[in-house]
Amino acid sequence: MSNISRRQLLAGAAAAGLLLPFLRGGRRARAAGSPQKTKAIFVYVPDGCIPAKWHPIGSETSFTLGPMTEPLAPVKDHLLFLKGLDMYAGGATHEGGVRKVLTATAPQSLDVYLGEKLNAVDQLPHASIQLGAASNFQNGSGSMSFIGAGVEVKPDDDPVNAFTRIFGAAPGAGGTGTEDTPEKKRRRSILDLASADITRARAKLGAVEKEKLDIHTASFDEVQRRVSGQPIAGCTSQSFDLRGYANITTDYYPKTYEKEDKFQQVGELQMDIAALALSCKMTRIVSLMWSHPVSPTHIPTSGAGLGNHDASHYGDPNSGTATDFVSLKRWFMERFVYLIQKLAATPDPDGGMLIDNAVVFLCSELGDSNLHDHHNMPFLLAGGAAGQLRGGRLLDYTGQVNGDNQPHAKLLVSIANMMGVPITEYGYTGHGTGPLPGLIG
Amino acid sequence: MGCTGIITGGSGGDDAPPEIVPGVHCDDERPGPRQLRLLTRAEYAATVHDLLGVDVDTSSIPVEPRVRGFDNNAAAMAVTSRHLDAFLAIAETTSTAAVKDHRAQVLHCDPAAADCARQFIADFGKRAFRRPLTDDEINGFLPAFQGQTFDDGMGIAIASMMVSPSFLYRWEVGISAGSSATLTPYETAAALSYLYTGSMPDDELFAAAAADELKTPEQRKAQARRMLATERGHAQVAAFVDEWLRTDGLSANKDAAIYPGFTDDVRRAMAEEQRHFVDDVVFAKNGTFKDLFVSDQVYVNAPLAQFYGLPAPAGDFAPTTAPADSGRGGLLSLGAVLASHAHANESSPVKRGVFVRGRLLCQDLPPPPPTLNTTPPGLDPTLTTRERFSKHSSDPACAGCHQLIDPVGFGFEGFDGVGARRTIENGLPVDMSGAVQGLDSLADATKVPFTDTKGLATVLADSESAQACLPWQYFRYARGYQDDAYDACAIHNLQLDFTNGQLNLQDMFVDLAGLPTFNQRKAI
Repeated sequence: MSNISRRQLLAGAAAAGLLLPFLRGGRRARAAGSPQKTKAIFVYVPDGCIPAKWHPIGSETSFTLGPMTEPLAPVKDHLLFLKGLDMYAGGATHEGGVRKVLTATAPQSLDVYLGEKLNAVDQLPHASIQLGAASNFQNGSGSMSFIGAGVEVKPDDDPVNAFTRIFGAAPGAGGTGTEDTPEKKRRRSILDLASADITRARAKLGAVEKEKLDIHTASFDEVQRRVSGQPIAGCTSQSFDLRGYANITTDYYPKTYEKEDKFQQVGELQMDIAALALSCKMTRIVSLMWSHPVSPTHIPTSGAGLGNHDASHYGDPNSGTATDFVSLKRWFMERFVYLIQKLAATPDPDGGMLIDNAVVFLCSELGDSNLHDHHNMPFLLAGGAAGQLRGGRLLDYTGQVNGDNQPHAKLLVSIANMMGVPITEYGYTGHGTGPLPGLIG
Repeated sequence: MGCTGIITGGSGGDDAPPEIVPGVHCDDERPGPRQLRLLTRAEYAATVHDLLGVDVDTSSIPVEPRVRGFDNNAAAMAVTSRHLDAFLAIAETTSTAAVKDHRAQVLHCDPAAADCARQFIADFGKRAFRRPLTDDEINGFLPAFQGQTFDDGMGIAIASMMVSPSFLYRWEVGISAGSSATLTPYETAAALSYLYTGSMPDDELFAAAAADELKTPEQRKAQARRMLATERGHAQVAAFVDEWLRTDGLSANKDAAIYPGFTDDVRRAMAEEQRHFVDDVVFAKNGTFKDLFVSDQVYVNAPLAQFYGLPAPAGDFAPTTAPADSGRGGLLSLGAVLASHAHANESSPVKRGVFVRGRLLCQDLPPPPPTLNTTPPGLDPTLTTRERFSKHSSDPACAGCHQLIDPVGFGFEGFDGVGARRTIENGLPVDMSGAVQGLDSLADATKVPFTDTKGLATVLADSESAQACLPWQYFRYARGYQDDAYDACAIHNLQLDFTNGQLNLQDMFVDLAGLPTFNQRKAI
């Protein structure tokens, strides 16, 4: 371990009363890797799967991918397939699924929670970043990130806006970002006055809407911190290639970044931005939503004629509808390969490549899309998590809790632990607490 | 199998909810929660325009969540760091533009005068925060002018106020007395102005607040009527109708190979059609609920007339009598409604049936039960849409709910997935007959038959459920929280006044301001 010693980590865990689960996890789980280097990416793809065509078949280290996951073969060594995880409690619907996939019924989603928790120490420009590809477009079912109970953090679907916001300058705007310009001085004056005003407003409101004001204040503090932050070397705005993408102001039905023929390009730009943000230490946490539950998106280049949600109601697994759904899922997996290869090709400022230190959680809101169920979820992890995860594996959690599948809440606990946040439960605890056994190490 | 609606709890209390006696005014209205209501993007843009005279692009601000179809649910909205980034960036540019280009609008004293900075903060701050500033606040913003030119100081003060919680949220906090809180006159003024104009209070409302003349229902209703008559008031009614009918679906991707005629021009014209229709019924005709449904008027321009197969209109969107066989006239045959509630490549009896039940009858149906295979029938070139969906009524697992949905949606089959008229589908004649089961109570098995949207329009216009639903939806839109049994008394009173008032639409909008609970909130 480089920056903090193992003794410090264990002392911290013990102080938090959390030592036992670590030790129970066995030798492997104990203080393996460097959680402080770990970066998390949460990737959502819509509308569940055909379980028999998704989940690999075989043993932990020797298995065959399903027709839906087959395109992942080139990056298989970076991947950890998870079988037999259920999402418990809450409605068995698209809406219920997306609400709990990162919350397990906790008020906050894991991406937002970890961002707040880690950034209290890290003090990076962004606690967490939520991006999307057409994730808000015609979305009647909600998105997966929550800053408080029932309060969503809507992903930013516009890559130009996302880049400009994250890096503080438009792509190609020039400058190193380190100069103290008159604009920055003015911004500091504005924020100083506004800061005092928030304090007055809070005093006036007392207990009324306290949670909302807490969120407001935390957001304000983050924005204020950005003004004094210094970008790291090599992270200037010229270095980003929009590959010809531009928002066309006359596009309204739908907007440019919501058009189906831009879906792939926007998604790839968002993945580029995610990798750049992580490699520039703008944040340690990024979420990316491809479309949204009940996705109307058509992807003709996948070979499927039906929209994603229509195809997801595949009926007979051998129907033409099922064939379309498989094609769509394979298309999403090809994009996921793009992300993994991008992470493998991007240096990590903490050493190695981003893929070595990343933990990527690929998720969806349903298990079997025919049934709208939350069983045997199509989940997988990717990346080395700074020495804590070994890829090329298939882990089967079927029936491990008195015959029931393991709860996905434990997977969220494991991810938090890999990020150096030593919690033992996150949201739902009905099927036990602690991390997923056998995962870390 | 039955089909039970979802009951969602919202702002309830520990005591028993109010009791409702049909036909009798309820005198047990319960106040809603105290809340901070984040401005929607539309409200924000209108407010910045009225405050500074500057038009802003709000596309960098996160979209609003939809709760029961409405975009202004206070509990679901908070200022995330992305909100603040966007608000700050807009504040920085608009404050500079305002000082440069609209100085007279924001500054009312001579900068050379000793107290001008303080006066500016008090004057401008009152409009920005929609209430007078305290001395503490005035002193707090004064440092904006330190070490700056007067104009730069003004810009900094304006921008810092524009990221304040007092600007970004509409405060419904009030002053507590016992178990309830009463909104301050200024909070009441803002509640009125955002409901009826979608923006900050105008001078007259500020004056009424200063004189404490918004206390009584009559005072508030007079203001409501005045604002409704303005251009902004008209636009705000149209904006409510957009959300009520969920016609934001007009911007959906549609399959261009199947619907080549559904161009951006046609979509824009459909949005305009709805606005003109609503404006004509509500304002020009001072119409009733029934006029929204039963009408033989169309409001089209040349591209839309061509798309609908109608003769070219005399003037763009001027009311014109539609040919009887066109099927046009009334809310149910608006292109925006039809295209929004349909698939990308076909019509949708299910979506349209759910639309009528949820949006027009306030009968929200539950989602399909878990583990039920809900796969819809695939496209089949030898069948009509109606024939393909017939399984819903033959399979008992589906029929419980779908007998309430599909037969309603079948009545829309005379219009395709983008709202064009059709009498033939896949070479087969279209059957436009439909039926509404459980019109006034889901438990009632009586079926009311009808033909085509015109037939359904007549059924809905006379339906007590539909007549009660519109004020209920308006109540939700106005209050910005999820209503529950504790709101039943206020909703009932609004509904009763609507029925007693011959279903006049303007009166219903105005009556909302007259509810005794309009300026009351629960204390905590």
